[in-house]
Amino acid sequence: MKRITLAPGAHVTVLPAEKFNRCRISIHFIWRASRKRATAEAVLPMVLERGYADCPDMTELSKRLARLYGAALSVDQTMSGQNRILTVCVSGIQDRFALEQEELSREYADIAFGTAFRPYVVNGMLDDEAVQIEKEQLRELLAGEKNEKRSYCIRQARRKLYAESPAGVERNGYIEELDALTAADVTAAYEHMLRHAQIEVYVLGAQENAVRSSLCAALEKIDRIPDEPVQESVFPKETPEYYQEPMATVQGKLCMMFTPKESFPAQDLSALRVAVAIFGGLPTSRLFQNVREKQSLCYYCAASFTSLTNVLCVDSGIEHGSAQKTQQAILHELAELSEKPVSQQELQEAKLALCNQLAAVGDTLRGLESWYFSERMRGGEKTPQQVAGEVEAVTAQDVQRILSRFSLAVAYTLTKEEQADE
Amino acid sequence: MNKSSLQAVRAAAAYQSTVLENGLTVRVHTMPGFTGVHAVYGTRFGSIDRELIRDGVRMKLPAGVAHFLEHKMFESEKGDAFSLFAKTGAVANAYTSFDKTCYIFTSSGNAAENLDILLDFVSHPYFTEQTIAKEQGIIGQEIKQYDDSPDWRLVFGLYRCLYQRHPIRDDIAGTVESIAEITPEMLYTCADAFYRPQNMILAVAGNVTMEQVLDACKRAQIPQKEGLIERVPVEEPQELAQTYDEISMAVSKPLFGIAFKETPPKGDALKTEIICDILTELICGSMTPLYRRLYDEGLVSPGFSGELLSLPGVLSILFGGEASDPQQVRRLLLEEIARQKSEGVDEELFILCKNQLYGELVQELENVEDVASALASSFFRGHSPADEIETLAALTIEDVNEALRTMLCEERSATLLIRPIEQP
Repeated sequence: MKRITLAPGAHVTVLPAEKFNRCRISIHFIWRASRKRATAEAVLPMVLERGYADCPDMTELSKRLARLYGAALSVDQTMSGQNRILTVCVSGIQDRFALEQEELSREYADIAFGTAFRPYVVNGMLDDEAVQIEKEQLRELLAGEKNEKRSYCIRQARRKLYAESPAGVERNGYIEELDALTAADVTAAYEHMLRHAQIEVYVLGAQENAVRSSLCAALEKIDRIPDEPVQESVFPKETPEYYQEPMATVQGKLCMMFTPKESFPAQDLSALRVAVAIFGGLPTSRLFQNVREKQSLCYYCAASFTSLTNVLCVDSGIEHGSAQKTQQAILHELAELSEKPVSQQELQEAKLALCNQLAAVGDTLRGLESWYFSERMRGGEKTPQQVAGEVEAVTAQDVQRILSRFSLAVAYTLTKEEQADE
Repeated sequence: MNKSSLQAVRAAAAYQSTVLENGLTVRVHTMPGFTGVHAVYGTRFGSIDRELIRDGVRMKLPAGVAHFLEHKMFESEKGDAFSLFAKTGAVANAYTSFDKTCYIFTSSGNAAENLDILLDFVSHPYFTEQTIAKEQGIIGQEIKQYDDSPDWRLVFGLYRCLYQRHPIRDDIAGTVESIAEITPEMLYTCADAFYRPQNMILAVAGNVTMEQVLDACKRAQIPQKEGLIERVPVEEPQELAQTYDEISMAVSKPLFGIAFKETPPKGDALKTEIICDILTELICGSMTPLYRRLYDEGLVSPGFSGELLSLPGVLSILFGGEASDPQQVRRLLLEEIARQKSEGVDEELFILCKNQLYGELVQELENVEDVASALASSFFRGHSPADEIETLAALTIEDVNEALRTMLCEERSATLLIRPIEQP
């Protein structure tokens, strides 16, 4: 791995990727989330993805990507703790597969940097027609969030947990603000991002020089004052909050969010990986084996941990009538692990599974990039091999200590109104 | 295709293959530089296999039996396979589709040990009344989860409209009622009939060699099974079961789908499948004027697209997704199909679609999971990953126009609408 600083808050990371058939260039913009700009920032990636100054037409851009053997362009945005991240990514087959010996990776760089830094503007603003169309698409997306019940339940639990914190700013903005949103608002959000975001560019298998020169050329035109990303935060609740939402579904959903009183120090992260794996991250975990397999309370029941907000999330698909029983079973498993150290066998198996996953990080382009980008977001630069060494050193007492720090903060259930808990 | 790109594609698609004495096909793709190993041990037994003749005796199977068997094959008297894989650190899983059931693991190292576990479990079925009763509860939950998925309901609703008798009408997992009919004897019979090496493939890719895989096969000592098994082909009428249906669900926006019942090709289906795939792109893919209009006017959501299903006795093309005005979208789609039938497909778009598909095929040969899966799925279809690239390269615009003349006919289409219901 090679990391180069081209300017304050602007870095290029080059990851070796010769063994892959594709290459990939990603430009990440990271800045502090704001409630005020949320809806404009949600429309922004949709507008950028339609085209850029050199290729403003969406259909023509699709054709250009197809000509490059189905190269993929995506402009996505996500929330990461209290930060918003917009990512422009282009991936496509490596030059050696080009049928006409085209320099594909140079073209990928051109599209990625064009999309990120040379948007299509009309009278100094992002194209109003594109903004109006994408506002309507966003309206549909927001209105349709209940269609996927599992993610909707998690999202609702998150809303209750984060409440008014910047971490709770809606990734997709707010439907009630769409009518008033203008191209000027979206342009201002874009300009804010260019000026204040940390820029992290990842190059995997593409021409590093083309990327470096494109980024330098782009930065020359911007007066930048990059913000430092907000590090981790915690959201403890004095007492657990319980919510039920009636919905006409065949299967109910349950999402439980657990939080510690204080942030975990960075050196606890490997112990957290092991603890969450044992609790509910593997097919051999307590939640899978006891709550699903032995008690048949649900079809799935899995745990995950978000380090930037220190939240342990358990989500589950349940019978409408057994929400209460499933909640109790999940709490029981957490209490068991908090009270008694796990057996050496259980510990060893979880470590093996994690070390296997860590060893496989370098086997996919996405895995490689996502590993080093996540490390960057946490302020670290560890390799998967280094973390595997830390995982090996985790003890049963570490697992107990880690899990005993979590308390239930929010439990959110999607249920049928007429089916009360047993 | 120039010489250097041809060499690159050949290297990416190269694998070793052999058929063992017991009839098991083994395909191995050694991938230098990769750490992981992905193995797929699959059988040609899926949800559409609902009737068989075993040594002259005809037997009907309830919907969902292949999927049910998949859930139970990773168990033995000694425990489950997951606990053994856990001791090696591998991640194991299994899945059932319309025409196959596959058991998989991904590991970093320990290839020999993991292959031993995989081959041992899938070769030694073990079922009891108790383990079956427990699984009926778990699968019941799985069925309910899919019942809440609008996309899933849309696709199966359309298949129920198109087909009168073909088992594709039924959900892969069956229903709570159909899986209640499953007994240990029935599962043993299915395992004996379909989990025979002649009907199976072991495909492995990554940090592994053919020698290692063959050694594991030797240790597993899987015998060739005796007796004659025949699948009973379904006699599906030309006519559709129905041309329109509606469902109400907890969704915010209507979903709409239109599906076409096509004549399944005789012999190698690969060329027809590639043509159908390209046709879906030519009609409403992201490069088309129709998609642009539907998108910009807010008539469909970004996921609106076409897809193809090709199985023994089944060939269908389906377009669907969220649509604010389903009737108008249907009309515009049919108009565009009629236009292309009469004027022929756009030549520029045809070349771009071929380019795009070539890139996708190269991409599928990139990581260990995709490569092993491609080796297994191409075996079930009777070809190799390289055949797909060669068939694509040889495809002409005349092939597509000729196929279009007899395909995508309105009179052989069915429409399904999912309406939002009022939330309580």
